[in-house]
Amino acid sequence: MTGLWYILGFAFAGISFVFLTIGVSWLLSHRHKGDRHKGLPYESGIDTYGDTWGRFGLSFYIYALLFVAFDIEVIFIYLWALVFRDVLVGGLVSMAIFVGILLLGLGYAWRKGVLTWR
Amino acid sequence: MSALTRPWGHLTLAGKIILPLVGLVIALTLLLLLGVATGVIPALVLFGGSLVGANLPIVRFIVAASAILLMTVPTAFVIIYMEMKFIAFINMRLGPNRIGPWGTLQSTIHGFKVLAKEDFTPTGVDVPVFTLAPVVVYLSAVMTLLVLPFAPGLVGVDMNIGLLYFFGIGGLNVVGLLMAGWSSFNKYSLIGGLRAAAQVISYELPLTLGVVGVIMLAGTMSLNQIVLLQAGSFLDWFVFQQPLGFLIFFIAAVAEGNRAPFDLTEADSEIVAGFATEYSGMRFGFFFFAEYVAVFILSGLITVLFFGGWNAPLDLNPLLNWAGLSVNTGLDFGRLGVGLLFLIALGPVVGTLLLALPFWMLRSDWSVLKSLVIGFLLFNLLIMGAVGLYLAISFEAVVGLFWFIAKTYVFVFVFVWMRGTLPRVRIDQLMGFAWKWLLPAALLNLFVTALAVITVDAIR
Repeated sequence: MTGLWYILGFAFAGISFVFLTIGVSWLLSHRHKGDRHKGLPYESGIDTYGDTWGRFGLSFYIYALLFVAFDIEVIFIYLWALVFRDVLVGGLVSMAIFVGILLLGLGYAWRKGVLTWR
Repeated sequence: MSALTRPWGHLTLAGKIILPLVGLVIALTLLLLLGVATGVIPALVLFGGSLVGANLPIVRFIVAASAILLMTVPTAFVIIYMEMKFIAFINMRLGPNRIGPWGTLQSTIHGFKVLAKEDFTPTGVDVPVFTLAPVVVYLSAVMTLLVLPFAPGLVGVDMNIGLLYFFGIGGLNVVGLLMAGWSSFNKYSLIGGLRAAAQVISYELPLTLGVVGVIMLAGTMSLNQIVLLQAGSFLDWFVFQQPLGFLIFFIAAVAEGNRAPFDLTEADSEIVAGFATEYSGMRFGFFFFAEYVAVFILSGLITVLFFGGWNAPLDLNPLLNWAGLSVNTGLDFGRLGVGLLFLIALGPVVGTLLLALPFWMLRSDWSVLKSLVIGFLLFNLLIMGAVGLYLAISFEAVVGLFWFIAKTYVFVFVFVWMRGTLPRVRIDQLMGFAWKWLLPAALLNLFVTALAVITVDAIR
């Protein structure tokens, strides 16, 4: 439990550090409202058109799906690696089956061309 | 003397900074003498000592947290200077050479310049998310320093799940980049943020899978324990047992840190500056601050996991003992008593005068002030050298810290070197490489290590 308090305390210290620095910068710097052109988003000098937060073509949400599957696998692998010296051959066989199933999924995605960026 | 008679408005900037400092030093010295004479300061020291003694873990934690946070600032400055200078040499330019000797203060000046710049919020942005994004990015980088062992006994918190904590907190980076890209109301930012998310999550897998071999060999996830297991000569380092794991981890670390040749998230020649396009002032500064701190942290993790952390490459103690150099310095400062105070008060004055005298006598063209300044600087250098030597001989933590920093900066140099040498890869090559090469290689490394561990176990 003390570890958690250390993490929270350090997070608090880090957040204070960032906001203190931004506060010092706010005190030091000049501020000027400017006209409406100052606030426009910079898109290489062309005025922006349409809505940035509209529909957007995500060609790579499948990467995210694959990532979730493999990242949960990583959690299991870490725990397995931690106790590997106790389980040895039996552990290796069961891990091979576990990773094999996931690799089948990766192979399927590969075959379907998901891993090729479009 | 002329500086004192001149009106304040005619002083140079340096004079305006130095004169109040001189006044402050004189006032502090007077206060110190007054406090000691009336007995206030010894009483305060005793009270403070009892307060610290009662709350030792909290005090230790506050000191550690402040030290870690403040340490990131000079670290970033050093790495930025290294990058400017080394890339300049790679490009056959001179690099920064105006501010400070060999331009060493250039990055510091850059930092203060960013601090003094206008922090502008463009119209149309989602202000709370826009402001919090740099905080999240910076925190995700700096909070991993909590578990990094710098030297024996010099670690924020020695967690038994240190490595998992490291990757867990480091993974929050993606959230910050997405927040910055989404909230900016700019199409370049959005593309940059989404690219960053895709890249970072893809390379998260090889990064985490590359170290499974080390966990298997060490049987622990505590970074401190992993370092202790690599004690001895450099042949005990895990890089010799995990060469493929190291290679995978290093490539993935470069991609995780968004460094060239994998710096597509900010690709300044393609999408302006990626997620950071709409940022300015200190909020912009924190993204790059975090990036350079992340370079240091990733290099530090490579050192800890594969290159023995704070262990020296060779154990020199038997050699030193043989040469009769094992010095035991047990200086007892308490015995000096009040004499110590006078030593502290008079030492700089006498030392400065003594060191300034030869300059004043030999260099007839130097003024008294210039000789005094040079004498004072020399005195400080001497004191720092003596203190450093004393600490290095007395505490193994200092030696450990030296080796850790030295090894870490070797990898920082490799990061910079790659940026100066390699062209940026294409996005499809980047993603394909992570999924089609690094991920299967990491799994292969895992099974080879498992087989090796089983074989060694069977032979024993």
